This record gives sequence, structure tokens and C-alpha cells, in this order.
Amino acid sequence: MNPNQPPPPPNWPDKLLNWLVAPHLREEVLGDIHERFALRMQRLGERRARQTYWREVLAYLRPQFIKRRPSEYAKPLFTDMIRNYIKTAWRNLTKNQFYSLINMTGLTVGLAVGLLILLWVQSELSFDRFHRQADSIYRLENWAGTGSSRQIWTVTVAPIADYAKKQVPEVNDAVRISYNGSYTLFRYKDKLFKEDNTFFTDPSLFPVFDFQLIQGNPAAPFPDNSSVVLTETTAKRYFGDENPLGKTLSVDDKTSFKVSGVVRDFPKNSSIRADILLPISLMFKDRYTNRDDDKTLANDFSQFNYNTYLLLQPGASISSVAEKLRAIHLSHKPDDTDLSYLLQPLPDMHLYRADGTNGGIETVRMFGIIALLILTIACINYVNLSTARAMLRSKEVSMRKIVGAARSQLFMQFLVETALLFSLATLLALGLIYLLLPVYNQISGKELVLNLLDSQLWQVMGLTILGTLAASSIYPALLLSSFEPLKALRGKISARLSDVAFRKVLVVTQFAVSVILIAGTFIIGKQLQYIRSKELGYDKTHVFAFFMRDMGKHYEAVKADLLNQPGVAGVTRASANIVQLGEQTGDTQWDGKEQGETMFVYPVAIDKDFVPFFRMKLQQGANFTGAVADSTRFILNEAAVKAARIQNPVGKRFKLWDRDGTIVGVVKDFHFASMRQKIEPAVFYYAPDRLNAIYVKTTGNEAEPVLAATERSWKQYNANYPFEYFFLDKLFDNLYRVEQRTGTLFNLFASIAILISCLGLFGLATFTAQVRTREIGVRKILGASIAEIIQLLAKDFIRLVIIAIVIAVPIAWYTMHQWLQNFAYKIDIEWWVFGLAGLLAVGIALLTVSFQSIKAALMNPVKSLRTE
Amino acid sequence: MKRTFLGEFEEVVLLVVAACTEDAYGVIIWEQLQEQTGRSITISAVHATLYRLEEKGYLSSQMGGATAERGGRRKRFFTVTALGSRALLEIQEMRQRLWQAIPQGKLQLIGQ
Repeated sequence: MNPNQPPPPPNWPDKLLNWLVAPHLREEVLGDIHERFALRMQRLGERRARQTYWREVLAYLRPQFIKRRPSEYAKPLFTDMIRNYIKTAWRNLTKNQFYSLINMTGLTVGLAVGLLILLWVQSELSFDRFHRQADSIYRLENWAGTGSSRQIWTVTVAPIADYAKKQVPEVNDAVRISYNGSYTLFRYKDKLFKEDNTFFTDPSLFPVFDFQLIQGNPAAPFPDNSSVVLTETTAKRYFGDENPLGKTLSVDDKTSFKVSGVVRDFPKNSSIRADILLPISLMFKDRYTNRDDDKTLANDFSQFNYNTYLLLQPGASISSVAEKLRAIHLSHKPDDTDLSYLLQPLPDMHLYRADGTNGGIETVRMFGIIALLILTIACINYVNLSTARAMLRSKEVSMRKIVGAARSQLFMQFLVETALLFSLATLLALGLIYLLLPVYNQISGKELVLNLLDSQLWQVMGLTILGTLAASSIYPALLLSSFEPLKALRGKISARLSDVAFRKVLVVTQFAVSVILIAGTFIIGKQLQYIRSKELGYDKTHVFAFFMRDMGKHYEAVKADLLNQPGVAGVTRASANIVQLGEQTGDTQWDGKEQGETMFVYPVAIDKDFVPFFRMKLQQGANFTGAVADSTRFILNEAAVKAARIQNPVGKRFKLWDRDGTIVGVVKDFHFASMRQKIEPAVFYYAPDRLNAIYVKTTGNEAEPVLAATERSWKQYNANYPFEYFFLDKLFDNLYRVEQRTGTLFNLFASIAILISCLGLFGLATFTAQVRTREIGVRKILGASIAEIIQLLAKDFIRLVIIAIVIAVPIAWYTMHQWLQNFAYKIDIEWWVFGLAGLLAVGIALLTVSFQSIKAALMNPVKSLRTE
Repeated sequence: MKRTFLGEFEEVVLLVVAACTEDAYGVIIWEQLQEQTGRSITISAVHATLYRLEEKGYLSSQMGGATAERGGRRKRFFTVTALGSRALLEIQEMRQRLWQAIPQGKLQLIGQ
């Protein structure tokens, strides 16, 4: 060390100053304090100098020195670069309007449709979850019957709820709900309505579920048996703006009910929905007073008529509760040995079947997957187009690199570019959703709203948009930022092999998805077609029906009157609606029935005209004759004969309830429920007092006058009641409304997915044709024909589409096979469906590609060679 | 004319810069200040005031004169601008007027 040179000042304070003090002041400040340090050294010695040095440095800690001077030159700080990125991105977007348009359209449509589907999925998944105690509420169900007749019932006997509350410690509360068919015509002053959606319920409905009573006492919603609780809408219907509480509704002109509460309308995503609620004690009173048998509410273990919901203690074992309930049931009715209890969680009710197997959840999953597929396709479009066009931007990338851009900065640049495009697309997509929502609601039968205050909506949207953004921005950004500037500037980056291969994989994926969707569309369409056209086993064309009420007593006169009308081809009556039989009973006996065996049958009371009226085929035996002796005769369907294992059934004994008799005929199986279900046992019996549904067959072209005549006749006997009839065809269609909707939505989504794929392919083809302009020119000059050029350009794409088909077929087959398992009666999947789907995919691809290819092939070589 | 308020310390610093016979820069100004006022002043306070005066337009500066003690760093030399001189003169004039306005004998009374 040079002894002449004074020791330098301490290092650390200098570093601090260097970091703190603004750059334009650093030099002189440091210089001055160093000089002062040197002076102090001379005067006071090193130790003192060092001590004061620290003090002096710390005195510079004031804003005046720290504050940086605004520079007149741009500093390459984060925000400045982002501004530059956005500017570059915007220029790029506007410069290549064609590709921007393709990208934007694809992304916008993809996002809009994807989000619409996800909204639907979300609404389906939200069913019954809004109750605070949803996780502790279970629906009580029964397994009943043995062997092929074993089935699940979602209704239980009434007393089990009371016993469950009293004797099973895990059960905190129970709610019974039962459909009200006995009080239907409600009147307030001049307002008269026939109410179809009314239920009897336990008062515990309100504490257990989160249905909010706006007026009334939740602890005692029904003060007595003549109390009624209305929903807000219903109350408005009767009372307008008057206060409904305490008002009296007269019902069926016999009794009257006093409004004791108003409940907020049941949410759309609730499985339990009603317009009017009546106390269940009223139902019990009607049912169990003045009976000639000894049945009471406490001992009637054979009337399965109540939806029972149990509120369990958290963490209670479901199976143990079910076991205990079964024990209770058997202790009251020992011969129900084939009966067992099970509990279904409330939130599963909507999407799973009663036995816990997949129900609607299949559709939800299917649509969820479709949404993801559509979003994937849209992302693939973006990725493909931007990587393919990356070459054109290699020069920009190279220049940036040479000037000093780090790879991470370039990565950031392309990320920002994608984000910009995405935010534009998102805005457009939101607008599109807003416009499409009414149409979409109509098709899907939902009432979705774009509530921008809903946090769940934002979760779905945020995740979707972020997900797609990440999926479509990372790869292009990585690729583009990876160019080596020297090679790129020399024009040597003709896309590495792996990039091309990757792009091919993406195109194949896109088209595989399209082929799967096309095949799915075909198969769903065919299945729906099949359901609607399948031989039902009865003829329902031009038949309308209604419940007769007081007209029933004068049936013979009405019938004679109607048959005199021109245009009426036939009249008959029965106890139920043939399109969808509801009542079921296990109270059957026959020769050869085993101990503990139960066969559930759908009993239908009919008259002698019924079988010929519906053109049902009697397999064996004879029809009812209209004689009094018919009341001891039964006609079984084939399914019943098979389930009961009766050989030569005609003449054998059969017992339904307390009705003993013989089998006189066997009717060929007919569909009295949705095709999802197998045909189950049904029994026709004869009981004139129960035949309250009338069926009128018209000749088809004269339905209007027939309806008018029927209404006149109705008014004659039921002056007070509105005439409500339904055509069986329409009712039948309603059975498959869900399927129809699924089918329509699937078609729609599939078309959109295919459209987006084509858009991407179109962009790629345009690009390929553009890049190869000069090659095509040279080829043409050397004698290539237009056909050869088209072939050259289309070949690559077609090969990819064929690979896609090969991959798609097994997947499509498997998924559609799974879907068809939902139906008891279904079509076979035929190979030609896939052939057709593939052909269609090739056709669409060819059409998309050839437009550009032909354009390129027709171009004048002189022109194309002159470019650049 | 826009008058900029000149604080007491600022005024002293400005006067010191004006009075300097050699080139005025941080350390010299600081030493002069210590000497003239007898106060103990940190150099950062001097720097801060100098920059503030420069911002106000009373001082101008230029860089130069690196030495070994400074680790080869240059000094910032300050000179009083025309605006600065006028400000000083104005202050002096004002004080002069006030001094002359003091009635005879009053100062002694106050002084007691």
C-alpha cells in the first residue's frame, strides 16, 4: 500500500449512497464527502473521521437526494416496454387484418359458446346446493321387490318419518312432501285457477330447507288444517297488491283455506318446487278418519306416497340409519322382507338417479367436455396461426435481439400481444353472450342471466379466460422468442421440423374432435328419431284426453253424444294417463308367488273399449266384455306374465289389492313410460267407478269441431271448471323434451366446434398458399396443371384429417356407446355413421382448403413470381 | 416580477457563494459557512440548499476539477446568476431601507 495515499473511507456507506442518491447527484456528493473525509483524517485522525463519516452519509437520507430526475429519454423500464409491446401488437393486428379477423372470430365465438355452456353446467351443478344444511339432508328411498322386479322407490310410507325422528338418534328432523291431487280449484273473489303444482308438507319444511317465509311464522306455518302457504307469485295471482295474509281462498266450492304464510318463490335450481303448500296433517285427516279398516297414520306401512327428507346429524352413518329404518319398518310390517331403505344426498337428487347411478350428470359432463373441446379448438387455431406466421416475424424478433432484447422480454412481448387479442375477444364474447342469452335460454330451457355481480360467474369466466389465455399464449411466445437472430436474418429458420410436427398434431386434434362431434350428432339424432318412431304397442295418433270430473257420472250419455259427432272415431276411458302411468303397487298375489317376493305392477282400470281403441294386440285370451263379471277379470301385459313366471296365464288366479280374480288375457307390451325405462309389469282391471280419464280419437282433420263439441258437453256438467285437455302426441313429446334439448344443443355445439376448426384450417391454408406463391408459379411455368397444384396444396391437410378420423372413431364409438346405455331401448351403432362422419370431415376440410388452393393455382405465374 | 422567498440559510449560502474568491464547490462553501456563522452544519444540508437554489435559478453550476482525495470524482462549481445577484441586492436594499427607518435612539432602547 502506498504510504502517501490516505486510507479510503469506509466502503459500506458509499454503497448505500450509490444506491440511494439520484444518479445525477452521485458524483459530486460522493466526491465532496470523500474530500471532507480526507480533511478530517488530517485534522482529527482516522477514528474520528470514520465516525463522523457515517453520520454525514446518513444525513443524505432525504427525499431531495433520493428523488430521480425525470429523463427526457425513454428508460427501458417495465411499463415503457409494455407500452411498446401493446403498440407493436396493435400494429400487427391492424396490418394483418385477415388473420386478425380469423383469430378474433375463432376466439370470440369459442369463448362465447364455451362460457355459455359452462354457465349451463354451473347452473346444473348448483341444484339444491343453496340450502345451508344441504350436506346433511337426505332423501329417503326404498329398494323393493326381488329379482327382475326389484326397483327403487323415491316415495316412502308416512309413519317412517315419525319413527325415524323418535327412535333413530342420528335423525334430527324429517320432512314429508306429498302431491296434492284432492284440492285443485282455488278461488278468490272472481279469480279462479286450477292449481296443478300443490303439495302437502310437514311444517318442518321451513326449518330444514332454506325456503324463506316472507310472511307467516316459520315455527308454525300452518296454525290449523285449513291453513295454506302460497308462493309470492301465486299470492300475487290471487290478491294482486293486497296483503295476502289472513285472506280466504275457497277451494272446489266445498272448503276454504286461510292464507297463513307467503314463501319466496322456490329457486329455479331447486328440485322441490311448488305453487301452494298445504298442511300434511290435512291429508292424514282426510285419509285416516272414518275408515272401515283399521289403518291409521301410525300403522299404515303399505301406502308409499310420500317424499321423505331426513336431516341427519353431521357425520352420521347413512347405512346405519338405513338399517335402523328397515328394522323399524319390519317390526311394523314383518312380511316386507324384500324392502330396504337407502338415503340419497339432497344435492345428488337432480343429477343422479335414485339409486345413485349417473343420471343428468352424464349430460353435464358431456357438455362440460364439449365446452373444453370448443375452447381447445379455439386455442389451437390461435396457436397454429401464430406459430405458422412466426416466420414472417422472425426479422422483427432478430432485430430486437440484436438491439439487446433478452429472451424473457420477447416472451413477455408475445404474451402481451396474445393478451391484447384476448381482451378484445373477451369483450366481444361478453357482448355476444349478452345477445345470445335469450335464444340460448329458449333452447336449453334454462333461465340463465348474465348477472355481473355474481361472484361465481366471475370465477367461471376468470378461470376460463385465464386458462385459454395461458394455453394459447405460452407456446407461440416460447417459439417466437427462441429464434436465433443470425440464422433468422439470413432466412434460415424455415420452421424447425418439430414445430411443423407440433402444428400437425394440433390440426389432427382439432379434426379428431370435429369427427367425434359429427358422429355424436348423427348417433344422438338417430336415437331420438328411433325413440319417437318406435312401435309403442298402442296407437296414440289424433287422440286427446282429459279428466272428466263430474262428467264421469254421465259417461254413457257423453259417449253417445260424442260418437254422433262427425270426426270422432272412438271414445274410451281409463283410470290413468296411458302415455305415462304413475301409480304403482306391490300388493299382488298369484299362484306360484314365492315367500317374500313382490311384483310391482302398474294397475290401470279400463273399460272394454280401451284395448281396441288403442289398437293394442292381445297375445292370448280375450278382452273385457263389459259385463259385471269383468270386475273379477284381469288382463296382464307380457312383462307382468314374465315377471310372475306364469305358464299359460289365461284362466290362472291373480289378486290385485283385495280384488281376487282370474287372468283373461295377455296384452302385448306397450310403452307407458320413457324409452329410458324398460317396459314394466302392468295390469288392466275393470272398475267403472275409477274410470275418470276419457280418451277421444278424432279422424284427424276435424279436431277443432270435435274439441268444441267436447267443451260444450264439459260445460254442461262442469260449469265452474276450465276445460283442459291434452293431445297424447304432445304429451309424448314432452317425455323426451330433455333428450330433444340435449340433441339440439349438441347439434348446435358440434356445428360451432366444426366451424371454428374450419376457420383455423382456412387460415392455415391461406398462409400455406401465400408462402408457396412462388413455388406454385415456378411449377406452373414448368407445366403443372391446375388440378396438380390443388392436389399439392390439399394433400397435406387431407392426410391430417384422415389421421384424425382414425383416432376419432374409437373414441366416438366408446362415448356414444356409453350415452346409449341410458336408454333401455336403443339403436345399434352402425359403422357407416363413422364413415359418413369421416367423409363429411374430409369434405369440409377439402372445401375449406380448396378455396385457397384454387385461388393460388389460378394465379398468373408472372404475377406471383414478380412478388418481392 | 415574481419574487421567490429566500430563507435565511439560503440567503447565507448564496452570500457565501458570491463572496468566494476561488471556485465555489460543496466543501469550500461548507468550510466558509462554518467559519462565518460558527454553526455546526452537515454537508448534506449545504448540498440540499445549493441544489434548491439552483432549482430556483439563483445559482448555476458546472462540473470539473477532479482530485485524488475525491477518488477522481469531479466537483460541481457554483456561480451566482444574474437573478441571484438581483435577489441579494434587493434584500440588501430592503434591509437598508428598514435600517434607515429606525428612529434615533430606538435601537438602544430595544437593546436594553
